[in-house]
Amino acid sequence: MRPAALLRLALAGTRTDGARVALTALSATLATLSGLAALTVLAVVKPPGDARAESVQYTNALLREPGLRPGVAFALLMLMVPVLGLAGQCARLGAPARDRRLAALRLAGATPGEVTRIAALETGLASLLGTLAGLAVHLIGRRLLHRPGPDGRLALPTDVQPAPAAVAAVVIGLPLAAALVSALLLRRVTTTPFGVVRRARARAPWPWPGLLILVGLAMFAAFRPVGLWYERRHAEPPLWLLPALLIVGSLAAMVGVVAGTGWISHTTGRLLHRYARRPAALLAARRLTADPWAGSRTFAALLAALIFGAGAAGIRADFLATIELHRRIGGGMGASDAFYLRAMDLVDLTVAVAMAIAAGGLLVAVVEGITARRRAYAALVATGVPRATIGRSLLWQSLAPAVPAIGLALAVGYLLVRGVYPAPSGGGYPEEICDAGRQLCGDPLTRAQHTRTEWVPKVTVPPDVPWEHLAWFAAGGLAAVLLTVGVGLLFLRAGATVEELRTT
Amino acid sequence: MTYLQARGVVRAYGRTPALRGVTLDVAEGEIVAVTGPSGCGRSTLLHCLAGILRPDAGQVTWRGERIDGWSEAARSRLRRTEFGVLFQFGQLVAELTAAENVALPLLLAGTGRREARTAALTWLERLGVAEVADVRPGEMSGGQQQRCATARALVTEPRVLFADEPTGALDTLAGEQVLTHLVRLARDQHTTVVLVTHEPRVAGYADREVMLRDGVVDHSGLGLDASLPGGHR
Amino acid sequence: MTRVSTSHVLLGLLATGPRHGYELKRAHDERLPRARPLAFGQVYATLARLHRDGLVAPAGQERDGGPDRTAYALTGEGPHALDRWLATVEPPMPYVASTLFAKVVVALLVADVDRARDYLIAQRRAHTARLRELTAVKTAPTASLDDVLAADFAIAHLDADLRWLHTTLDRVADWHREVHS
Repeated sequence: MRPAALLRLALAGTRTDGARVALTALSATLATLSGLAALTVLAVVKPPGDARAESVQYTNALLREPGLRPGVAFALLMLMVPVLGLAGQCARLGAPARDRRLAALRLAGATPGEVTRIAALETGLASLLGTLAGLAVHLIGRRLLHRPGPDGRLALPTDVQPAPAAVAAVVIGLPLAAALVSALLLRRVTTTPFGVVRRARARAPWPWPGLLILVGLAMFAAFRPVGLWYERRHAEPPLWLLPALLIVGSLAAMVGVVAGTGWISHTTGRLLHRYARRPAALLAARRLTADPWAGSRTFAALLAALIFGAGAAGIRADFLATIELHRRIGGGMGASDAFYLRAMDLVDLTVAVAMAIAAGGLLVAVVEGITARRRAYAALVATGVPRATIGRSLLWQSLAPAVPAIGLALAVGYLLVRGVYPAPSGGGYPEEICDAGRQLCGDPLTRAQHTRTEWVPKVTVPPDVPWEHLAWFAAGGLAAVLLTVGVGLLFLRAGATVEELRTT
Repeated sequence: MTYLQARGVVRAYGRTPALRGVTLDVAEGEIVAVTGPSGCGRSTLLHCLAGILRPDAGQVTWRGERIDGWSEAARSRLRRTEFGVLFQFGQLVAELTAAENVALPLLLAGTGRREARTAALTWLERLGVAEVADVRPGEMSGGQQQRCATARALVTEPRVLFADEPTGALDTLAGEQVLTHLVRLARDQHTTVVLVTHEPRVAGYADREVMLRDGVVDHSGLGLDASLPGGHR
Repeated sequence: MTRVSTSHVLLGLLATGPRHGYELKRAHDERLPRARPLAFGQVYATLARLHRDGLVAPAGQERDGGPDRTAYALTGEGPHALDRWLATVEPPMPYVASTLFAKVVVALLVADVDRARDYLIAQRRAHTARLRELTAVKTAPTASLDDVLAADFAIAHLDADLRWLHTTLDRVADWHREVHS
């Protein structure tokens, strides 16, 4: 097939396809923006001096301190996770219609490879549009936001540019990755000329994701012992080892939680089926067992955001415990304590934004599920099934797996952090205290007379479990789920109409 | 007292009129075929009679009561208890097994699960598809699906069964099997049937045929067939 | 419809064993339930012709409190003749020969459109009544397979006729409109 023909076929489609392309492009734009922002932060050059030399041209301490910048960049990169999750959900939007179109292409003589290429090209082109738009917004935004204050300092790192190669990697790499993922997803789809048959998994999901979660937790817990092991041998651990522990560990835990949702869906579905008395619960139970992975797909971004949020709550609890420790044994970070807590507020804000984006993805998934089944729903309504029953079944179907999955995500996120940070402890050492005034103590001759040695008792402050914080995240997650189901019900009202049943 | 009756029923989709004043009487226990060319308003008439759609004008009465003014909830209840509805395809819930699909209306009525399943199995047996009781619709043939749907429409023992092209998606033999079962059971239970179809062969299962043309009953002599003199029943 | 070859049907019935005339008539009416019943005279005339052609032969006499009955059986040549008949494809609709069709054409020729229409409507009513009658026979719980097959055959043809009647009515109406406007 000639590239022009391929392009024409990739761009042929209905309004739903248009919506999918637009949403894919939008999420690519958002991902590009956060990616480029992260690269910009990383591009800030550390001024010469010791490891703590600050880049004084910025007003914001998060940008000034070299030790904090990687964290900021990491948080920005983390934002890409729910955004990419949203892109994944968008790919499912109008998928049945697209599948029919692809099947028609197969019927007209296209090979399976060509059909896959057409679908991949559609996603890739949409993403490329999005990344280019993101690049444009980034470049314009940089110019507009470059406003040095009266003291010549900047609020944002608008004075540095990320390396062109890195920018190109984002702008070109994201669409390529999206196209690859889309081709990969279509691998499970046998595109026959007679419609697309998704190979149903007959097997119930195994609880293997539990193992992944344990591996992730173990890697985080190993972080300190590994460091100490090298310290005792007066050796430096390999540069990649400790970051690798954290990155691989968090990925393992995240994949474990998301995949574990499949198992949770299936199990709650089975339990619900056994104990369901009302048709709403029965419908939900059967749907959960019929496609347990739907839960994983829909909740993936939300759960990732929640793991991150619970981790942040854990770190904040650790800060608070450290502050408490310093209060008890003296010393401490002083003014910077407040700064760290403000930084944590920023992280919480990031999590909230991520959850909002994830809720967008959830909404797309719920609406897609309803529109795909609107004929069956319309038939149910016609035979006298109240819409409320269908609504309740949707609620059951979303909440039954969501509640345990959200709990799991929060627990895992919190435990990961607790694995790295032991309870802050201090003391257990002698301390010289000079009881006289500054003048006497300052003089080495007189100082000795006024000095006594006191044993600072060893104090350990176990950080409180940040119940309140975690509860807020749980409430936020549940609210996102409830909200999307609510909006979904509006679509149900519009979708389950008798027009779906007309045969003439 | 009239049984099921439409008086001057008018209904439009947007600006396209589907029914322009249909008057029709259905007697208790009879099987009426509603036929006519494509776009004549057959399905719309069935939806209005079954209380799925509200007519824009005119009346629909059921055992002397006007149902066209009833609320959606009241009409839903009526469809769930007194009426049964059967469509061309795609009406079974894909995730539920055949028995669960058939039991659904009973569960909605508050019947216990065990009891509902027993009743569902009985009806699947009556329609000759007991062997697919624990199979999901996706793994059944079209004819089996349609027989399950028929069982679901009849499980509540409705007074009227509305069937909209019930064999439209089936091959001849599967369609005949569905219709044969449907007609036999309807006669046994003394159920009234309103059967929408465009096929003379399917209309042959009815006692009487009403032909629609351009949204009205065709009285040209072609549409109105008296029931057979001394015929069946 | 082409005339059914009675001789070949009788050959087929004799293929299951020797029978006499009365038995053959009964078997014929039973196996072809919706066909025109066979007259005794026709049975004997056909048997005589088959005997002359050497396809059947008398296979003994039987006296059963009544007149003599001659049972007939296939000769060696009989099965071959039957095979040839079964292997021959019937020409599909070699001529459009139907009184129904002829009447409509003649009505349009000698009478006006309304006349043709009236005839079509009346014919449709009769067809529908017959279709309904046969459907009732078929759906009766007591119907045997032979009953169902015979009714199916007739219903399929009535269904085809009815479709043709519908189309013709619409065509006549269109044609009428074109001519008179």
